[in-house]
Amino acid sequence: MTERREVALVGGATTRWGVREATWSELAQEVGGALFRAMPELKAGDVDSLFLGAAEPERFAFQSHVAPLCAEQMGLTPHRIIQRTELACASGQSAIRSAYAAIASGLSDIAVAVGVEKMNLPSMAEANSAMACVMDRAWDGAHGATAPPFFAMVAQRHMLEHGTTEDALAAVSEKNHRFANANPSAQFYTKTFDRAKIQRLPLVAPPLRLGDCSSMTDGAAAVVLVSNALARRYTDTPVLLRGSGQYSDFHNLAHAGSLTDWVGLKHAARQAYEMAGVGPKDIDFAEVHDCFTISEIVEYESLGFCGPGEGGRYVLEGRSDLGGEVVVNPRGGLLGCGHPLGATGIGQAVEVFEQFSGRSPASRRVPDPRWALVHNLSGSANVHSVMIYEGAAA
Amino acid sequence: MTPEPAHAPPRLSSPRGIQSVETEREGAHAPPTESKETPPLPFLLDFFPLEGEKHTRLSPFFDSLRKGRLTTTRCEKDDLWHWPPRVVCPRCHSDDLRWSDLPMTGRVYAFSAVLAGAPLGMEAEVPFVVGLVDLDGVPLRLFGRIAGTAWDRCRVGLAVTVEPFDLPDGRVFYRFRAPA
Repeated sequence: MTERREVALVGGATTRWGVREATWSELAQEVGGALFRAMPELKAGDVDSLFLGAAEPERFAFQSHVAPLCAEQMGLTPHRIIQRTELACASGQSAIRSAYAAIASGLSDIAVAVGVEKMNLPSMAEANSAMACVMDRAWDGAHGATAPPFFAMVAQRHMLEHGTTEDALAAVSEKNHRFANANPSAQFYTKTFDRAKIQRLPLVAPPLRLGDCSSMTDGAAAVVLVSNALARRYTDTPVLLRGSGQYSDFHNLAHAGSLTDWVGLKHAARQAYEMAGVGPKDIDFAEVHDCFTISEIVEYESLGFCGPGEGGRYVLEGRSDLGGEVVVNPRGGLLGCGHPLGATGIGQAVEVFEQFSGRSPASRRVPDPRWALVHNLSGSANVHSVMIYEGAAA
Repeated sequence: MTPEPAHAPPRLSSPRGIQSVETEREGAHAPPTESKETPPLPFLLDFFPLEGEKHTRLSPFFDSLRKGRLTTTRCEKDDLWHWPPRVVCPRCHSDDLRWSDLPMTGRVYAFSAVLAGAPLGMEAEVPFVVGLVDLDGVPLRLFGRIAGTAWDRCRVGLAVTVEPFDLPDGRVFYRFRAPA
């Protein structure tokens, strides 16, 4: 195989996430401003490439051809590669993976990977239609399939097969909301939730309640990736991208299999672990795709943090919390931060950079991390994307 | 959440809340038909597939459904049942496929319900039950609406039937029905 260059994550920024008084383009401007303020060494003219994760701007903002629009809003003039990546809820990590490939191959030296999504519309029914056409629209969407009933069926089967409890689901929500309470950019920064309160919230798609579901969120995030030879120009704490894997095994819900055995995630994780030369026991913290509480529970199992069916017990025993085996979602997760589809994967990477820089607030800071794992899923958990990062030794 | 829009969604015209649309959606190419009570959903917000042979090579599926039969394509070479029906086999990539009848009965593998957050045109149907159903005697598990039961009375393993139903504009679709 040809020699691959090492790729480093050297900085990032996010806008405030939530129900925002801002358009798609204004969010792109905000994240550009935040990025250049966070990285004074970064010059706009040095950014040779832009990769934009954007899931459904045609639906949510009536806007196509969004990559050059985003570049203009951010004050960038990409002169090597400019492209949008669309992979629904995982569009963000997809942008990072494309930037990684471009830099590793030598096509790009300094790239911005950015995610922008505007999901709160005057008509939320239209926004829900956008979410339903992530599914196989004519055959599943037409029956009213959106993410909540799908993941509710995953929860139902997991409860049936493994005895997972509503208390375990609520424990995921409680942990991630607690971390979000220490993250000023999170949608639920100021809202507190405890396990009892979560279990009294209204049902959305039984057995899932409001507190089990991530939100419709407006927000943007951006990171800078460079050839590692240039990394120290921008930061003293570069983070190296060591492993990356993806797997897509179905789309129509007829092919979703058992619902509880996420084969695609196991494949994607194996690729990433093998590429990085590490295993689940080496991971210090993980940003995983908790679009629903049950997702995080199945992810503990599929990523190898615990055995099959043990995910509920894993969270109840505190093994995914600070002081546990793998700190999961110290940023606050999708549950606490919100889920602006294309921006989510980028926001997770911003968290990775900040944790390794040691700047995270104490109540959610992972002590002396070396390895971090990031997972994005998309659609009905039919595509999985996994990345593994290593902090560069000081 | 957010305030109601100035342009409220079109009012629903049927108890099922499915929007009236021009038959077969001939749209711009057809002469205007008689005026309808409510405007149709824009094509890009209409979930239901176009069914006629001008629009889809799967029109036999909808013709059969109109006659009360759920069908799909099979690849005889691979002995493979497809879902949804296809025009090219995903395994051998042959386009020599046969239409076959599917059983009209099955059992619920998993289910949930939409109690909030329904797409445009389905809000009036909330709450509704959806689920994955293992059809009897074929290796297929189909997703669909489950009519005739409240979500808190539905259960895994429940026997259901397949039921074609008419959309207000003449198109046809299918759902499952729980026993009375």
